[in-house]
Amino acid sequence: MSSYFDLTSELWKWASPVWLLVLSLTLIFFIVQRGALSRRGLYFVVAMFALAMAYVSPIGVLSDGYLFSAHVIQHLLLLLIVPLFLLLSLSKSATEAIFSHPFMNRMGHVLAVPFLGWLSGLGVMWFWHIPSFCNASTESYSLGIFRDATFLLAGLVFWWPIFSPVKRFHLPSPLAMIYLFSACLGCTLLGIYITFTVISICPAFANPVDRLGIMHLLYDQGMTPALDQRLGGLLMWVPPCSLYVCAIMVVLRRWYSDMGQLTPQSTGATNALREARS
Amino acid sequence: MTTGSINQSELTSLDTPVTSTVMLDWVSTLDHKRIGIMYILTAVFYLAIGGFEALLMRIQLAYPNNTFLSPEMFNQLFTMHGTTMVFLVGMPVLTGFANYFVPLMIGARDVAFPRLNAFGFWMLFFGALLLHYSFLTGSAPNAGWFSYVPLSTKAYSSLQGVDYWIIGLLIMGIGSVSGAINIFATIICMRAPGMSLQRVPLFVWMMLMQVILIILALPALNSALSMLLLDRWLGSAFFDPTRGGSAVLWQHYFWIFGHPEVYILILPGFGMISEIIPVFSRKPIYGYTFVAGSSVAIVLLGYGVWAHHMFAVGLGMYADIFFAVGSLLIAIPTGIKVFNWTATLWGGELRFNTALHFAVGFLLQFVIGGLTGIMFAAVPIDWQLTDTYFVVAHFHYVLIGGLVFSLFAAAYYWFPKMTGRMLSERWGIFQFWLWVLGFNMTFMVQHFLGLMGMPRRVYTYADNPGWALLNGVASIGAIFMALGTLVFLWNIWISLRKGKIAGDNPWDAFTLEWATTSPPPPENFNTLPEIKSRRPVWDKNHPEFADWKTAQTPPDNGKRFNLPKLAAWAFIASEAVFFLLLLIAFVVFNTRHRGGEVTSSVLDAERTGIFSLFLISSSVTFWLAERFLQAGKRSMFIFYLGITILFGTIFLAGQVWEYAGLLSDNVTINTDLFSATFFTITGFHGIHVTAGVIALLIMLIMGVKGNLTSKKSHVFGAVGIYWHFVDIVWLAVFGIIYLGLLQ
Repeated sequence: MSSYFDLTSELWKWASPVWLLVLSLTLIFFIVQRGALSRRGLYFVVAMFALAMAYVSPIGVLSDGYLFSAHVIQHLLLLLIVPLFLLLSLSKSATEAIFSHPFMNRMGHVLAVPFLGWLSGLGVMWFWHIPSFCNASTESYSLGIFRDATFLLAGLVFWWPIFSPVKRFHLPSPLAMIYLFSACLGCTLLGIYITFTVISICPAFANPVDRLGIMHLLYDQGMTPALDQRLGGLLMWVPPCSLYVCAIMVVLRRWYSDMGQLTPQSTGATNALREARS
Repeated sequence: MTTGSINQSELTSLDTPVTSTVMLDWVSTLDHKRIGIMYILTAVFYLAIGGFEALLMRIQLAYPNNTFLSPEMFNQLFTMHGTTMVFLVGMPVLTGFANYFVPLMIGARDVAFPRLNAFGFWMLFFGALLLHYSFLTGSAPNAGWFSYVPLSTKAYSSLQGVDYWIIGLLIMGIGSVSGAINIFATIICMRAPGMSLQRVPLFVWMMLMQVILIILALPALNSALSMLLLDRWLGSAFFDPTRGGSAVLWQHYFWIFGHPEVYILILPGFGMISEIIPVFSRKPIYGYTFVAGSSVAIVLLGYGVWAHHMFAVGLGMYADIFFAVGSLLIAIPTGIKVFNWTATLWGGELRFNTALHFAVGFLLQFVIGGLTGIMFAAVPIDWQLTDTYFVVAHFHYVLIGGLVFSLFAAAYYWFPKMTGRMLSERWGIFQFWLWVLGFNMTFMVQHFLGLMGMPRRVYTYADNPGWALLNGVASIGAIFMALGTLVFLWNIWISLRKGKIAGDNPWDAFTLEWATTSPPPPENFNTLPEIKSRRPVWDKNHPEFADWKTAQTPPDNGKRFNLPKLAAWAFIASEAVFFLLLLIAFVVFNTRHRGGEVTSSVLDAERTGIFSLFLISSSVTFWLAERFLQAGKRSMFIFYLGITILFGTIFLAGQVWEYAGLLSDNVTINTDLFSATFFTITGFHGIHVTAGVIALLIMLIMGVKGNLTSKKSHVFGAVGIYWHFVDIVWLAVFGIIYLGLLQ
């Protein structure tokens, strides 16, 4: 019995322009990194791999008007995975040097405002799944590129207060946990809505144009537009929340190992507290 | 280092009885320890009632075709047994222990809000009375502890039992959220100097996780209960499929509460075990951060796996797969703890007393309950075994084998601190074996009964091969547990009178509750040891082996959150979940006009939009009032506060106008699902605005009388958090209902 996974040649788009972006970023990374391989290099490889897969693999091909669920996976890669690993791959000293400039330092602090990051991360996900915008960005190539760019940028802004290479831009750990937990609630709500609503979130996927001649195979596998949307909703809901839980674990680890010495101010605050209670 | 002298006038105001009668002294108490004891005694009382109900059921099921109980009586008993054990035993006893020990363990003089604390207890007390009053009406609740619709709707449960169940649970739910906010604020704001959140005892940490769960999960139940009550009393059709409602929605909402409820019950048990095992192993807990961190993971994952209670409903393959994976994931943080406890015991100088007996019993039995839980995460196994006695066995292994055993362990561990006397070890060990024997006789065999296909919640059964024997064993086991409980009560009775004097720290234990007398004085502590690690009392008593010399822990930065504002944030977080679920119900029922007859066209969005502007503007005027209060400009403060109240009142008047128009057009809550969701959401919002206006009026009176000064602006700010929240909720309501977003 044939399956759509057998159609390897049609489902891979090796000639994708995303390679230009991947090669450019790789070049920049190696110039900054000066060729030394490290754990950051591994993170960068993961980021580039995820970026390439988002367009070259069946995820990219099927998200181009065939499957809403593939479209969601592509968004999650662009919004959550690629920016996260890009941030992790940045050199601390190089980033510190860039953000030591007063203007950039100010920018770094602006990016670290939790409301901005939260709104960026959640906002783009909600905005691009309003049916008319979702449809338009799927049908228009240039709008689709713009949408994907907003995902990448919003992802960087979202993760900045948590995984910025410069520690002073990090949110305090308890606040970071609330930030991530509420982000989980936000994507849960969107996921629930997409999973259970009877509205077609992205009508382009309800009546796809079968450019590759694979539609019948998808339907043969039992994948109907309604089922596809339900799967998309669940993907929007569970994997991001699992990622946020993992991120919270990282923050917790950071919090429990924070042995920072008491500053004179905080010592004073402790003494004041002690006096207030006595 | 000491906390210094205690403010005697403050203590006098808290503890001097109004009259000399002991009863009134207790009834009017605000002391967290006494309230804790009252919670525990209430739980013990209802444990006796719930246990008696269980015994009656076991007598009925002792042999096939028994007629000891009627089917109707059996339905009432299993409903009340489940409800009682969850809401009147499990939750109160844990809140009781938290009330008593959390302030002591963090070195606080009292809880954050003593009056709110008392309010929470009395809500529980009267809610429980109301629930049990239903027996006197002859129709106790009979639709099971999760009261699935449509069975619990008026059409199938026409008597008042379900109404008592709903109102009782609503009242107790309000009490539980109040209590949770109090414990939350106490842990965050009242810790002694040096006690960073990373140093709190694990029981305190688990209670923090538990109250977060209560604050965020209980509103889901409250919203579902409100909708069911409206269905029953006012004829709305939220859960009536024949009129477009959804029976599955009840299941979703109930289990959004119900699954976290499992962790609400078991997390404090984990906390107790995490205190007891290290003390009696003479070691610090192995992997404190893993135990604490994994409980955070449990809290987060606990919210996302509710639908594994609904695999048999037919959610679809993809939903089943995702929820199954989520449910399997939750086994990881739970399993981590078991390894931590085992590693703590490993190589320890074990003092195998009664408390440790129960702790080890917990460990073994909880693992069995956990493993069968993992089995249920596999969808086909769930389909096969759901609603059989295998489920009954599974959750009793978690809740008795886990929770009750940890409670007994805690009782033996902390009784000396609460009373000043030791419980008898001889009676304790006897009780332990009675319970181990009885519990495993009763519930181990139920695994096999479930596998053999015996359904739960049936009042009798046919004489199928093996069923009579296994049920007989289960019923005999219940008698052993009852005997064990009597032995425990006898032990308490005899020990209170003749028990060995405990002293301050009979176990050479580690945490701050052991740094004071047994029982502690009203002010809790005369002196506090210096807190430089997670075991300050150990450090004090064994300075040569002090923890801080060998292992650093994150220090306390001395900062504490503003108490009223924190409480306000916690409250609105809870309220946000409540409104969120109501709004989700609106979207579910009104997407593409599935709600039958559509009345949405009767709304006047423009007119309501104008009134909405008044409400939104009131947030701005409130902000100005707050700024003027902080600046000490009293007249301007009063002016802008007055404007805020006026705007809020104008908004309410607009809502009354709209309601009057709708009612005159015969659009009522039972017209269709649009009107049902519309009136429910706007009605609850209106109640919140009214409450806000009343709070603002009180602030205004205080301001006029000069009692509200810039020094107290944080109290006004806390009211502001609520007021802004109400406005933000209205923005969502207006967008979704009036402008049709998400539809």
